[in-house]
Amino acid sequence: MVQKSGTKQLMREIKRHRSVYVLLAVPFVYYIIFKYIPIFNGQIAFKDYMALDGVLGSSWIGFEHFRTFINSYYFVELLRNTLMYSFGKLVFSLPLAIILAIAIYESNRPHLRKIVQTLAYLPHFLSWVIMYGILLALLAPGDGILNDIIKMFGGKPIDFLTNTDAFPWIVILSDAWKEMGWSAIIFIAALMGIDPSLFEAALVEGANSWQRVRYITLPSIRPVILIVVLLRLGTILDAGFNQIFMLYSTPVLSVADIIDTWVYRQGLLEFQFGLATAVGLFKGVIGMFLILGSNRLVKRFGGNPLF
Amino acid sequence: MKRTCTVCIALVALLSLVSLPLFSQGTADQAKASGPTTIELWYGAAITEAGPPPADWVGFQIIKDKLNIELKLTALPSNESDQDVKVQAAAAANNLPDLFMVRRDVLTRLVPQGLVAPVDDLYEKMPIRTAKHYDEVSRSHARFNGKTYGLADPGSITKNEGLLVRKDWLDKLGLAVPKTTDELLAVMRAFTFDDPDGNGKHDTYGYGAFQEINNYEAWPGRRLEPIFGAFGVDGTWNMTASNAGLNILKPEFFDAMSLLKQMADEGIIDPNWLAYKKDDFRAAWKQGRFGIMREQNAAFAATANYAPFDKNFPDGEWIIIDPPTGPKGHASIGPYTAGFRIYAISAKAVKEGKKDKIAELLEWMASDEGYYLLGWGVEGVNYTKDANGIPVAANLPNPDLAFSAPGGQTVTQLRNMVFYNGDIELYARYPKYITATSKKEMSALDVLRVMQTKKWTPAVGSDTLPIPNADLKRFYEQGLSEFITGKRSLTRENWNKWIDEFKRLGGQDWNDKGVAFAKENNLLN
Repeated sequence: MVQKSGTKQLMREIKRHRSVYVLLAVPFVYYIIFKYIPIFNGQIAFKDYMALDGVLGSSWIGFEHFRTFINSYYFVELLRNTLMYSFGKLVFSLPLAIILAIAIYESNRPHLRKIVQTLAYLPHFLSWVIMYGILLALLAPGDGILNDIIKMFGGKPIDFLTNTDAFPWIVILSDAWKEMGWSAIIFIAALMGIDPSLFEAALVEGANSWQRVRYITLPSIRPVILIVVLLRLGTILDAGFNQIFMLYSTPVLSVADIIDTWVYRQGLLEFQFGLATAVGLFKGVIGMFLILGSNRLVKRFGGNPLF
Repeated sequence: MKRTCTVCIALVALLSLVSLPLFSQGTADQAKASGPTTIELWYGAAITEAGPPPADWVGFQIIKDKLNIELKLTALPSNESDQDVKVQAAAAANNLPDLFMVRRDVLTRLVPQGLVAPVDDLYEKMPIRTAKHYDEVSRSHARFNGKTYGLADPGSITKNEGLLVRKDWLDKLGLAVPKTTDELLAVMRAFTFDDPDGNGKHDTYGYGAFQEINNYEAWPGRRLEPIFGAFGVDGTWNMTASNAGLNILKPEFFDAMSLLKQMADEGIIDPNWLAYKKDDFRAAWKQGRFGIMREQNAAFAATANYAPFDKNFPDGEWIIIDPPTGPKGHASIGPYTAGFRIYAISAKAVKEGKKDKIAELLEWMASDEGYYLLGWGVEGVNYTKDANGIPVAANLPNPDLAFSAPGGQTVTQLRNMVFYNGDIELYARYPKYITATSKKEMSALDVLRVMQTKKWTPAVGSDTLPIPNADLKRFYEQGLSEFITGKRSLTRENWNKWIDEFKRLGGQDWNDKGVAFAKENNLLN
């Protein structure tokens, strides 16, 4: 009886807010078609997939694809590189985005704020193909701008893009440069939600800018930072295929090859879709456990969990 | 509420299951009653920067009227990897088009899946086309287990590349054309350190290259084959009966690597070569960054390609030279194979009864009408014929619609399906012209003819030999590049250790399978 009235109430709510629910329908359908239905096809991770036999008709082979991936000659290296780039981007890009957001928020020159904001967002809209061209112009050992400067001061040119020591930094820093402005948006939104009276009170109490940031701004946006970190953990094994694919070359494969580039070569180019799916599933499961684990940790330490 | 959520999730799952056949099993067979047969063709565009044939292209109507075929065209991506991904993604969904261009590597994966149909019976149904396009080498190119699974049409012209050197730089520095690897090194050093362009800056290099690799020209690839050719180890495979096998396993490969390492260490090869993509490399020689390179005839000498260099360096001049001779007398521009473009027919098309119609279409393309229409467009609109009967872009009412102009290029996008590198095509494709700035007479055809006279290594069929798995391929390419960049020290001891690891990882097996395949198919010279 209680359940029936609950359903009735839900229907009433839907009817009452139908315009919102209509808006919700588009992403809902998107998720069903592109996210949920393909889950069924995920079974080819456990099958010797033959296109003519289809998903259902292909024969089961158990965990063979998972074994192939884990026993791959480069498995440890792939996992290491993937985690290195994921955590590297998290550690560098996130604080930079927070700092940028706070700087923009704290700025009391509206024109400068708008210019900085626009310039910081701009790289997000450039594809990695274009970014590669820019990086080549900046970093090429022969005539890159940075190497020209190094040479001007009597230094030896550095082959940033083909040197295994330099390459990881190029990946992490170029990603930070490209995405910092875009990532800052969510923090700027969170900053906008802070009660201005807190700042006014702090001013009256004689707090300087740094103290206001430390004792008001950062604690206020802590829940958003936690949520962003939690969500990033869910995709920790996605280290940025597009970027690496554009930037890497044979001399730096030892530090550049990540799980996704391996899947591209071994799975897609070699027509091993079952293997590619198995790796996708592997990544998804790891991501899910990371989200669940970290969410529980956040709960335990009294933070605002994701769910 | 909890129960409502459960019901919702169950509904979503149920909907997913019900809708599955729609999304996972490809499209349903075409219902056919009467009317024209629809043939879906995925083609490789002849001019990748131009668009597809327009919707009102006269060819569609002619094909419909004469053959009762509704032709649906889709251009494949210009990048080979992207092409492979598109074809394989369609294959995975059992949704391949009726007729499609495909690289041989991909075909080797589609055949065991049963997704492509044998075409052996088509040759006699297409007598005109077969006579012009398909000889025994072509048929064997796409043969697997005794059956041919693709129509291998003539592709790029063989031996169409050459080793070029800046003659104006040689003259300025008082140097002779290099004939040996030692002389080549000396010229590279002079080009790097003696300011050949006279601008007072250290901004030139000896040799220019980029990593351009394929299954018969493994790392460091095509652009450096003249260096490896000087040691008799150009190309992935040695295709001689007496010494067949992977070149990397030959002792001379270490010597060739040492020379390349020396070029890198001395800074006489453009240091950007490992980071360059094809377009960067081509922009670089046009900007005068280096004075020696291996380049393709049209990429070097065709009107639009030579124009920037001509403008930048009106007194500049490249000449085609013989490949340098190595210490044991070897010399080669690189390996050559018979270049093919494979068009395959999907098993689905055969099941739908379209095979004969496809043969009809291809045969019509090879007829005079199809050949000129697809090759150059409509006479009087897109081309006229000169006194020798060669299509030319002259005397047209609207020059913008000339087959060589942007407005007319779209109607010749299928020309690679009809061209077979005959004289008419070559004369039409590579006409003589006078350069805009220096007023030199140029001809990509003359350049081609000279390039073909140079010493090459016969390796026909080496592009059909087994390919390594992705991990072994990576080990091969990464290892070699690390020896050159210095991450690994290039000593005999290190090299031998690395070769042992390569063999252990599957390199020996790859070598043995390749040699066995070459022997079995009589590919060895």
